[in-house]
Amino acid sequence: MRRVAEGIAASAFAVAVVTAAIELLKPYVPVLSLGVLYVFAVLPIAVVYGLALALFVSVASMLAFNWFHLPPVHTFTLADSENWFALAVYLATAVVVAELAARARRRATAAEQRERESALLAELATELLRGRAVDEELGEVGVRVAEVIGVPSAQIELGPPRRPPSACAPLPLEVGERSVGTLYVPEGSDSNIAVRRRFLPALAALLAVAAERDELERGALEAEALRRTDLVKTALLRAVSHDLRSPLTGVRTAIGALRNGSLHLTDEDRAELLDAIDVDSERLQRLVGDLLDLSRLEAGSVPVEHEVWSLEDIVRDAVEGLGARDSVEIVGEAPLVEVDATQVRRVLANLIENALKYSPPGTPVTVRLTATRKEAIVRVVDRGPGLAPEERERVFEPFFRRDGDTRSGAGLGLAIARGFAAANGGRLWAESRPGQGATFALALPVVEVPVGLQV
Amino acid sequence: MTGRRVLVVDDEPQILRALRATLRGAGYTVDAAATVEEALTAAAAHPPEAVILDLILPDGNGTEVTRELRSWSEAPVIVLSAVGEESEKIAALDAGADDYVTKPFSVDELLARLRAVLRRRTDAQSEPVIEIGELRVDVPERVVTVEGRRVKLSPHEFDLLRVLAQNRGKLLTHQTLLREVWGPAYQVEAHYLHVYVSHLRRKLEPDPSSPRYLLTEPGAGYRLVDPTSAPV
Repeated sequence: MRRVAEGIAASAFAVAVVTAAIELLKPYVPVLSLGVLYVFAVLPIAVVYGLALALFVSVASMLAFNWFHLPPVHTFTLADSENWFALAVYLATAVVVAELAARARRRATAAEQRERESALLAELATELLRGRAVDEELGEVGVRVAEVIGVPSAQIELGPPRRPPSACAPLPLEVGERSVGTLYVPEGSDSNIAVRRRFLPALAALLAVAAERDELERGALEAEALRRTDLVKTALLRAVSHDLRSPLTGVRTAIGALRNGSLHLTDEDRAELLDAIDVDSERLQRLVGDLLDLSRLEAGSVPVEHEVWSLEDIVRDAVEGLGARDSVEIVGEAPLVEVDATQVRRVLANLIENALKYSPPGTPVTVRLTATRKEAIVRVVDRGPGLAPEERERVFEPFFRRDGDTRSGAGLGLAIARGFAAANGGRLWAESRPGQGATFALALPVVEVPVGLQV
Repeated sequence: MTGRRVLVVDDEPQILRALRATLRGAGYTVDAAATVEEALTAAAAHPPEAVILDLILPDGNGTEVTRELRSWSEAPVIVLSAVGEESEKIAALDAGADDYVTKPFSVDELLARLRAVLRRRTDAQSEPVIEIGELRVDVPERVVTVEGRRVKLSPHEFDLLRVLAQNRGKLLTHQTLLREVWGPAYQVEAHYLHVYVSHLRRKLEPDPSSPRYLLTEPGAGYRLVDPTSAPV
């Protein structure tokens, strides 16, 4: 309503301005030819307010022209019959111009609207295709849709329609017969029907594609996860069965030979067989113990007995236990730690044993002790073949074995070491580079020693 | 006294030690190897009369050893396989291995298989007439009799029986049989083989539902045995 009143005022003003201008120009130009100036009143009104007011301005202009400028002035009669004709031509021109201008304006408005719609659709398509999950984008999309279809706010929900939120009108988003979701707009907000018909199906199609893609992606991720667990399980089963069966085969073969009455065994053969049984049964015992430790670590049921220890002592202890005093050099020093010494000794023994196994003969393994403000760090350094970057984490997986590697055992040592390190509040990681030897680092939290008691 | 030479290949040191002592105790002369390379070097240095071969080796697999060995030696090969190594086992048998035992195996079983493959090797493959128990196969005349009674066989049935009989006691894989009887083009049509085997059993076996001559090795192949001699 306000806009109509404003339009009428603007029309009156435009007519008045042109009438005054003609009054000013009248002394210099034949008055009849000045009637065409009223086009300048009709045109802007047509463009800004549309055809109806423009027609009103056309008629008002002719009346004003007749009243103020055509003799006899201040009457609606005309002295000269030619003037009637001129007036009619002016009126017709004004009406045609008004219509053309109004049509151009409608076209421009529609084009702008479509441009906004397609710009939004294109932008949405780009964003959704870039791989952003459609659910996370819905809020933002709603705001933009509201702008485009000319409502104060809009909310999009995917999936089957539900009861609309209070004071909201649901607009279905459909692709063909299939419902994709619902667009909720405030009740009573009127949006252009044509826009809805044109824009909403396009929006729905886009959202449907995006939702479908999300679904497929989720499915693919789940399938991939399942496949991986399956692979891990198969590898695990194979590793366990191989590592258990090999020593078992050794033991059984040797016992079978010892008990077989038809064989003629020399004393030397007999000793060989007993030794094979000894070595393989010990290997079995270790493997079973390791498996047990690993499962307890994974279940988090390993009791940790914290006591304050010198890390250096634990390192020396581990080296002694391996009988490797001559092939391990210990450098540096570390602060006190509060740990379960048996478990940390086990971690270090596993690391040092590993390092010895991969060291070229004659090269020592170095154990380097350092500390940061919060952690005591032990690095076990060998001069062996080192690790490829992609192996640095994988070596800690249970049953991990490098391709073609037969020196290692069941591949449990590092997994167990990491488990015990974590159980003692520490961290264990590899820092190796291929060709430069392997370094394994164990970090344990240092003990806060009261100032007066520091060693 | 030096016995027949056997090469044992296994990367598990204790199994290798146990097998070496066992085979020595059974009167064989034993060479041992732990890798593909060692195995081929040892075989070349002292050609073995039989090979006992682990399937998974650190630098390759038993199939490679078998194939390499077969290019110059007829020595029978027994592969040691574990559950979960079926495809490797079949590959080794296809490459020319003679038999397999599954880990963990009994010493008696291994020694029996070894005796069997060594005995078989002394049977000439080119005998014109092969007798297995009550079964008699006359290769040049293409005539088969069971307990003296003549049995009519189709050409393919006869060829299948001939291949099995010429390799008596030896496990022949599906692929080997298909290749020998039908030619390389039919290698994928394993069901041909099962059909012909059941035909043969109906014609030859006293009780086709529990075969005594033509035995199935599940998942591997078939072998023709002499039911009257000791089991392998």
